[in-house]
Amino acid sequence: MEFAVEMLGITKTYPGNHFLANDTVDLTLRKGEILCLAGENGAGKTTLMKILYGMEKADAGSIRVMGKDVRIASPLDANKLCIGMAHQHFMLVDGFTVAQNVVMGIEPTRFGCLYDQQQAVKRVEEVIRKHQFSIEAGKPVKSLTVGQKQQAEIVKMLYRDVDILILDEPTAVLTAQETDHLFHTLRSLAKDGKSLILITHKLHEIKEISDRVAIMRQGKMVGVFETSQVDELELSRLMMGQSTALHIRHGATPEDRQAIIRFKEVSVTRHGQQQPLLNRVSFTAQSSEILGFAGVAGNGLGVLEAVLGGFLPVSSGHIYHREKEITNQSQRQLRSHGLAYVPADRLRVGSALEASVQENLIIAARASFSRYTILQKKRMAEHTRRLLEKYSVKGAPGMPIGTLSGGNIQKVILAREMEQYRDYIVLSEPTWGLDIASSQYVYTRMAALRDQGAAVILISSNLDEILALSDRIIVFYQGSMVAFLQGDEARDVSKQELGAYMLGLKCQQEVLHG
Amino acid sequence: MADTQRHPRVSALVRDSAGILLIIAIALAALVILAFLLSKTPGKTLWYFFFGPLQNTYYFGNMLNSAIPLIFGGLGVSLAMRSDNFNLGGEGQIYSGAFTATICAIQLAPLGIPGAVLALLAGALVAGFLGGLSGYFRMKWDTSELITSFLISNGVVLMVNYLIAGPFMDTSTNLIATQKIPEAFHLPLILPPSNLSSALFLAVVAVFCVHFYLFKTKMGYELRMSGLNRQFARYGGIDTKLYMVLPMFLSGALYGLGGGIAIYGTYFSCMKEFSTGMGWNGLAVALIAKFKPSAVIPAALFFAYIEAGSRNAMLHSDVTFEIASIVQSVVFFLVTSEVLQRVFGKKGDR
Repeated sequence: MEFAVEMLGITKTYPGNHFLANDTVDLTLRKGEILCLAGENGAGKTTLMKILYGMEKADAGSIRVMGKDVRIASPLDANKLCIGMAHQHFMLVDGFTVAQNVVMGIEPTRFGCLYDQQQAVKRVEEVIRKHQFSIEAGKPVKSLTVGQKQQAEIVKMLYRDVDILILDEPTAVLTAQETDHLFHTLRSLAKDGKSLILITHKLHEIKEISDRVAIMRQGKMVGVFETSQVDELELSRLMMGQSTALHIRHGATPEDRQAIIRFKEVSVTRHGQQQPLLNRVSFTAQSSEILGFAGVAGNGLGVLEAVLGGFLPVSSGHIYHREKEITNQSQRQLRSHGLAYVPADRLRVGSALEASVQENLIIAARASFSRYTILQKKRMAEHTRRLLEKYSVKGAPGMPIGTLSGGNIQKVILAREMEQYRDYIVLSEPTWGLDIASSQYVYTRMAALRDQGAAVILISSNLDEILALSDRIIVFYQGSMVAFLQGDEARDVSKQELGAYMLGLKCQQEVLHG
Repeated sequence: MADTQRHPRVSALVRDSAGILLIIAIALAALVILAFLLSKTPGKTLWYFFFGPLQNTYYFGNMLNSAIPLIFGGLGVSLAMRSDNFNLGGEGQIYSGAFTATICAIQLAPLGIPGAVLALLAGALVAGFLGGLSGYFRMKWDTSELITSFLISNGVVLMVNYLIAGPFMDTSTNLIATQKIPEAFHLPLILPPSNLSSALFLAVVAVFCVHFYLFKTKMGYELRMSGLNRQFARYGGIDTKLYMVLPMFLSGALYGLGGGIAIYGTYFSCMKEFSTGMGWNGLAVALIAKFKPSAVIPAALFFAYIEAGSRNAMLHSDVTFEIASIVQSVVFFLVTSEVLQRVFGKKGDR
């Protein structure tokens, strides 16, 4: 058996947080096969592929391509070895035509220096025809649908004559028909002798498209299997692993829980897309409970977060805070109603990197630190010192927050929002990048807030976290609620069952249509 | 890297000032080379360039005086930049502010000193309105305030030219200028025989006020957070729309104030295009000062010093005034290449 790619003992640690993204990972790709690389968020799939494509440098390990030992220091090196990668977020220039995008970097020239537009269009047309794509070389990229953009991205790679093609979650944004079309193309590419690696976590796609499947979990390679030998349940078990028990006491169930935040038939649709991002979502977040939201990335949790945080207006439906309507209010109004919110995007939304730790800490509470609009230096310093100590942040009040490590930045954000909550708090991926001890502390703080009567809304892709903390669990799949687990149901649900809901294998009919 | 983590503030300060000092050194080296290339008596030229402005109170006072509008302009630009707004309309704002203040001062002469203050404020208000307009357009239609402020300013300069040469021209003199403001409104001279007036104190007060506003008040905090990360400011409940308009207004108002004060202290009547270049130089000063109000004074003095030095060298030796422009443009070029990179790097993802 000949291998197109052999990766041996690949190890990668990210310097910032000493996070072991790849731990002595082995992976082989056979010539002419379609291999799916599967795993949960943060399992290390993308890192491994970035190493193969030269975007990241491995700390240890070796790579062989077509039987030869190689060093891949940049995507350019990878291209020379006929390796191409189509990214999850399209790398296309919107104002350029398909042809211009495709030839970028290796433009055909006339007289050795002038850009030859006609030649470019002609050559790109050829590639498109050969592989039966449905796009036109002369069209501007901005006029394409998402599926067509994906095609342009693949044409870009084929134009470079790649033999090995990596696709990072190619179906994340595609409709069912577009996905079918893509798979058809991928199969014919494999038939032509190209070798493909697909990063995905959608089980039915793995079954449908791949010859083999490699599964990663927490930076380790769990195993490589012939796809025909494993069923979907087995796959999901391999991806999720056995739950590591977190010990958080569930809240008592007091009779007098009040409704704090209520969603009524909330939908978010994006112009030009049929599938709503959020599809008639109704739920109530009550006082003295942690309401957990689970789902795979791209299934609506990010949209829910944006709606709760006031960043995204809803297309229809109503949102109430203590039965007063707050639909589509500005952040300013939401904050004045008492919103406390830990965003998933801590660097672009949750902090101003060039501002000091202290300035970052007072953003929402700034009014309470000013008198006749003059900031009270002493009280701010006192407050900052207290919070940094309480949340054991490694950093000084005057340092720009961007110079702190990712974990410490997150602690500053958590400190700020948890300290100023009034009756509800939204936490999205609160423990990303935190070590175990810090995560535990965040969990105990969340439990404490709940016991004080807060409505805690937890959005997380970490199932252990959801299972350990949530009093009730809502699962999202493709923008809809597919499960609503309460009471004993939420307490006793297994990780596998939750995984099945998240991956669309299972669904509570009454929730979906209720 | 480890060093920046331990003392980020200190090392950033050292890095910043080291950068500026290097830029100044390069510019002055360029000056020395030019002097040897262009002048038959390079030693004399350089002596007059470096020491001319300091040799007597007349030259020294005039140098300080020419720094005053630059301080106001530099403050105006710094304030806008702190909120991630780029005010390129200084030329028109300073000119219209000066014109409005002059006309109002003449009309309000009977009110005495309160009239003088009112006239200055009127000038600031008009100039602020022009700046605020660009901010409003950005908020409303997402136009680039950089472009609109520049275009509006260009139009306004022509309009004021017309007003000075037309309806408001003082026909009793041969100058294309308005009437003179009342004698009682003149700011007292503080270093005769030079032109330096007590406007210098007003400039220092303005620096203090802007510094206080930006770093000690809640609104200044909100303004700066909007500038550092608009998304974050919105998230924290700051009205980011307000901080597209207000800083541009204040920026224009500071320019306008600078124009009015130049009239009160130095020019006494609004001559056609008397302020040409002050707006751009204010921008240069802000860039050298890296938008720190406290650094605006030394930056403005440096700029004024170069100009006074070349004027002196021109008077006493055989070089032309353009030598100042060359040194200034070298400084400007080196500073902006660095600053603009940062500014546009950030604007890319807003």
